[in-house]
Amino acid sequence: MKAIFYLVQKEFRQIFRDHMMVRIIFLLPLLQLFIFGYAVNNDLKDVRISILDQDNSVESRHLADAFLNSSLFIPGPAAHSPADLDDLIYKGKTDITLWIPNDYSSSLSVGQEAQVGIAVDGKNSNLGGRAGGYAMAIIRQEGQRLRDARMLDNPLLRAKMKEIKTATRFFYNPELVSRTYMVPGIVVLVVTIISGLLTGMAVVRENEIGTLEQLMVTPITSLQLIAGKTIPFMILAFFELAFATVVAVLWFKIPIAGSLWLLTGSSLVYLVVTLGSGILASTVSRTQQQAMFTVWFFLVFGILMSGFFYPIENMPMAMQWLTYLNPLRYFLSIVRGLFLKGITLSDSLPDLIPMALLGIIIFGAAILRFRKTVA
Amino acid sequence: MIAEVETKRALTIRNLHKSFGEVQALRGVDIQTKPGEIFGIIGPDGAGKTTLMRILCGLMVPDVGDVDLLGFDPVTQTHEVRERIGYMPQRFSLYPDLSVVENLRFFADLYLVSKEDVAQNEPRLMDFSRLQSFRKRKAGALSGGMKQKLALICTLIHTPELLILDEPTFGVDPVSRQEFWTILRDLANDGLSIIVTTAYMDEAQLCDRLALMHHGKLITQGTPDEVTRAFGKRLLEVRSPDILRVRRGLDALHLPGINVHRFGARLHVVYENDEQEEAIRLTCHGYGAELEEIAPSVEDTFVALLQDQGEEAV
Repeated sequence: MKAIFYLVQKEFRQIFRDHMMVRIIFLLPLLQLFIFGYAVNNDLKDVRISILDQDNSVESRHLADAFLNSSLFIPGPAAHSPADLDDLIYKGKTDITLWIPNDYSSSLSVGQEAQVGIAVDGKNSNLGGRAGGYAMAIIRQEGQRLRDARMLDNPLLRAKMKEIKTATRFFYNPELVSRTYMVPGIVVLVVTIISGLLTGMAVVRENEIGTLEQLMVTPITSLQLIAGKTIPFMILAFFELAFATVVAVLWFKIPIAGSLWLLTGSSLVYLVVTLGSGILASTVSRTQQQAMFTVWFFLVFGILMSGFFYPIENMPMAMQWLTYLNPLRYFLSIVRGLFLKGITLSDSLPDLIPMALLGIIIFGAAILRFRKTVA
Repeated sequence: MIAEVETKRALTIRNLHKSFGEVQALRGVDIQTKPGEIFGIIGPDGAGKTTLMRILCGLMVPDVGDVDLLGFDPVTQTHEVRERIGYMPQRFSLYPDLSVVENLRFFADLYLVSKEDVAQNEPRLMDFSRLQSFRKRKAGALSGGMKQKLALICTLIHTPELLILDEPTFGVDPVSRQEFWTILRDLANDGLSIIVTTAYMDEAQLCDRLALMHHGKLITQGTPDEVTRAFGKRLLEVRSPDILRVRRGLDALHLPGINVHRFGARLHVVYENDEQEEAIRLTCHGYGAELEEIAPSVEDTFVALLQDQGEEAV
């Protein structure tokens, strides 16, 4: 036990003596938090809309106003024909077009279905999809308003009205701000990089300078050696976790709805995975560069397949199955759940259990391989 | 009691074999060393020295044969062995970003040396390695010779009974090498058993006993005197300002049983009888070279033995 303490002490001494390491530990998380927190912005804002109102009635103007009064859309260039609308999209002068044909109000007045045309610039699929969805919602609301107005004329239905009126509200992230969604994800990234990458590199460095062989001929066991190598980075990862969480809450004003104990506990489980991966990477690498690229390779896949940028539900089915092998997926889900939804331990179990299983497998494999390499 | 003292051995190696795939690194090695003895294993690169050292430390398991190290088996009693040995691998392996004293204390910590023992041993080790005035210097900023001495005292901090040194003076300047060997001799005089490998033939003369190793086999072993006595031939040293011309002249004689080797700026000519000596002397005088009959060194013996083996193989 005492030997582990001395190994940890030595590791910290080396870490804090290495300027590059200190920068990675203290500056990198800050940079990531601020760059991702501010720069990665999927928020919909100032979407240009060009409206062609050929009906020019009270009803059609009401619909057009519904668009222009929403906080999302701003007026784009005017159009004089349906062909104009297509042209504006083609030339990138507008993001979305609304065409109200001249039979809009007359169809409505005789109780028929009225049709309007919406075209969305799909170059940015994310923006296109969401702006289109927003537009559809506005049109549905307008239809509802028209139906309501007609019902209100009927006194019998008026009493029931209030009960069936629907309202859309987004839970957990009411304003749909990217940052609220991104920052907890960055907390996960920071913890992953510090624990996985640095552990792998630290072990390989001992191998590179030859001290690993020197350590192996001392009476310490390979398990003690693994503990001595992983504990320092576990401590650092917890420090990073606390640091990133504080920045998220105090600077980005992202409320943490769940329990900090659950955050700490699930992080511990996750660290078993990342520290194990770091050791595992070190056993297949001869140099620090190799270790770095090995970890990086899996990290990039892990991030892309975790739902960090793109929702897993949008991936092809085969890819979705693959994500079940991705520990990052589970931890990201837990941390976002903790920050935004305030999930409890029992809510987190569907993520926590597979993550723990992966941890046992990966760390176990790391120990076996490490023993083979050093002996 | 007397019998016990007599049978006391530092290290016994019996019929050791080790292969890596097709390559036979060790092909039947037998060694016996006594406590307080410097035992040298001499051989060129690739002779199997490092493999042998790693097996002694329990870093490798031999295919065949067994090792008795201070009464323990490195394969099954690894922990007991490691507590009692100090091992200095071929590559310098201390933490370059830690200071001299930090490195030393780290290894003391790993061997769980008590604070009192560290307080007692540290000044002594610092003193004889003359690293006292560099205590605070980073190990990476030390000269080659000082690094080697630091590595040595790091393996001594837990007062081992047997020291295993794998080419400890490799790449170190001659003065530092000499100093290093003086330290080794002092340690051996204090009762420490030392197994040391080297590719430097001049260091062989400094061992109590030695073994010549080639292609995974020990060609001969014994005290330096015993080894050189096995030479069994006569030796002339030739000195001349134009040594290459003399060599060409000697080679042109094409006399069977004569071998010419270059030793730095001199030639060593190995021969067997007076007739050959006459021919050699005549040729050398023709080039104005000086001649002297000398006692063979370990290197001469090694070269001659290898030559014999080569001839046998042919």
